[in-house]
Amino acid sequence: MQPLDLGTPLTLVLLFVFFGGTFLISLSIGKKRENADSYMTAGNNVGFGISAASMTATWIWAASLYASATSGYTYGLSGPIHYGLWGALMILFIYPFGKRIRSLAPRAHTLAEILHARHGQSSQLLLAGSNLLGSLLSLTSNFIAGGALISMMSPLSFSTGILLIAGGVLIYTLWSGIRASMLTDFIQVCAMLGAVIIVVPASFFAAGGSSIFADGAQNLTAQQRSFFSSEAFFNQGAPFIAAVLAYAIGNQTIAQRLFAVREDMIKQTFVTATVGYGATVIGVGMLGVLALYLGIEPADGDANNLIPQLAAGYLPLAFLCLFFIMIIGSLASTADSDLAAMSSIVMTDIYGRNIAGKTGAKPQLMLLIGRITMIAATGMAMFFASSRFDILDLLVLVGAIWGALVFPVIASFYWNKVNNSGFTVSVLAALAVFTLVRTGWLPLEGTVAIITDLLSVVGIGVIAGLMIFGFFGLKAGVAAALAMMLVTLPFAVGFLHQYPVLTASLLAYGVSAILCVALSWFNKDEFDFDRIAHHAGQFDTPNT
Amino acid sequence: MTEILLSAYVLIWPLIVAGVLLVLVRAFLREIREARKDGRPMI
Repeated sequence: MQPLDLGTPLTLVLLFVFFGGTFLISLSIGKKRENADSYMTAGNNVGFGISAASMTATWIWAASLYASATSGYTYGLSGPIHYGLWGALMILFIYPFGKRIRSLAPRAHTLAEILHARHGQSSQLLLAGSNLLGSLLSLTSNFIAGGALISMMSPLSFSTGILLIAGGVLIYTLWSGIRASMLTDFIQVCAMLGAVIIVVPASFFAAGGSSIFADGAQNLTAQQRSFFSSEAFFNQGAPFIAAVLAYAIGNQTIAQRLFAVREDMIKQTFVTATVGYGATVIGVGMLGVLALYLGIEPADGDANNLIPQLAAGYLPLAFLCLFFIMIIGSLASTADSDLAAMSSIVMTDIYGRNIAGKTGAKPQLMLLIGRITMIAATGMAMFFASSRFDILDLLVLVGAIWGALVFPVIASFYWNKVNNSGFTVSVLAALAVFTLVRTGWLPLEGTVAIITDLLSVVGIGVIAGLMIFGFFGLKAGVAAALAMMLVTLPFAVGFLHQYPVLTASLLAYGVSAILCVALSWFNKDEFDFDRIAHHAGQFDTPNT
Repeated sequence: MTEILLSAYVLIWPLIVAGVLLVLVRAFLREIREARKDGRPMI
């Protein structure tokens, strides 16, 4: 096996070519046309090619490539499916809600801004705060992945790696915001997808081709050899199904692209991103499956080393460089999206809709605020990443906040009886229950376990119901929710609480949905949805 | 037989990725042409 080291000069050349190229592309965006709205939504008129590429690139982050390979290595043949397929389908399931949101607020900048128009400040700030925290953690995670990759594949240190990645991303995103992020995403997705097309088959054939499966079959357990592994489903797939719907709703990077794409191209953009994300992530996950068959032990016991090990062990230097660019592309495309998302939230939800008020927002000051936000966020993420800050627990917490938000947010866009207090109380209560269960403060024993199992069944019903509701309407959604609850009830009670991570996530859905419905049902005030478009609109005048 | 099926299972994903990349590149090139023809920026 050849060493992983690319050497300092080659590493720097690759980074220079990658970030230099993206920077040059971002220069092609006319600076004279820059205004606050374009900085956040790119004029709401971006075509299918860039939008679909950007959606794909944003959804694929470095962690998803590593995690899919780890899933393949841990759970065998079905592992990558239980990582990539569910993540991909969630893009698809969000699409009908995206269409609804866009029709309600064609000129909005953030989801939280729409909630401000729908409910008021507390609902808006709950979502905006969780969006900000989530994007900061995502940014930190990508910097950590970049620092780790550079320190693993070159003599450069972890901190130097973080500095190079952070500087490279900031330099091309700072000036033009979402427009730079989306345009460069296209080039980055070409690099990522191109690398998958080459690296996966090259690794497969270099490692021995189809004979791998005969020679290495003894390295797999019966569960790992099965396409229907219950271990893979309950430990990887099921928690992911629960989490990703929440991530798609709570993630401003997805919402931002929803507001940027041409309205008539939303469907094909989401469908293409679904296929692109799924095939890419599952494809990289196959490297983990190959490593399992080949009996490769991850270096230092860290499964994140598997892909680089496999690449270094079987691929020539040129392909190793391609692999390096693939990972850099995945983390840069998500990091620039996070920067653009955070700047939009601060510009719109903190300054535009709260500090400046309805008519007082100054677009040029907003632009300055957006750029300062990007610089500050980069500095904070670098600090957290350099400190090797443990972000895993925080990511779980943010995922839970989003899980608690999913039903109230979606209901707010369809049901005119949901109000601010119903929204806020249901989200906070669900979050409290999640925290009690996830931290183990509430032991899942006896009666408590039965109650949490029953509420978790409601959570399963809510997830299934929302998925069907988006495509087929209310009756089908309610029917699917009830059917799913009836089917799972006999199996779930007395069983689900054995999986506390999954239970906590399901409780977030179940409790928020029950309370939101209960508090809204008898509400006599009915909201007029036409008001949203008026209150969530442009900051610049059309010809600024 | 199993080896062939498992090989196909591993190799099908890069093939799908290639299809998606083709769709994206064709759409991107079309959008460049249309933007130039109309004299407007792509994004």
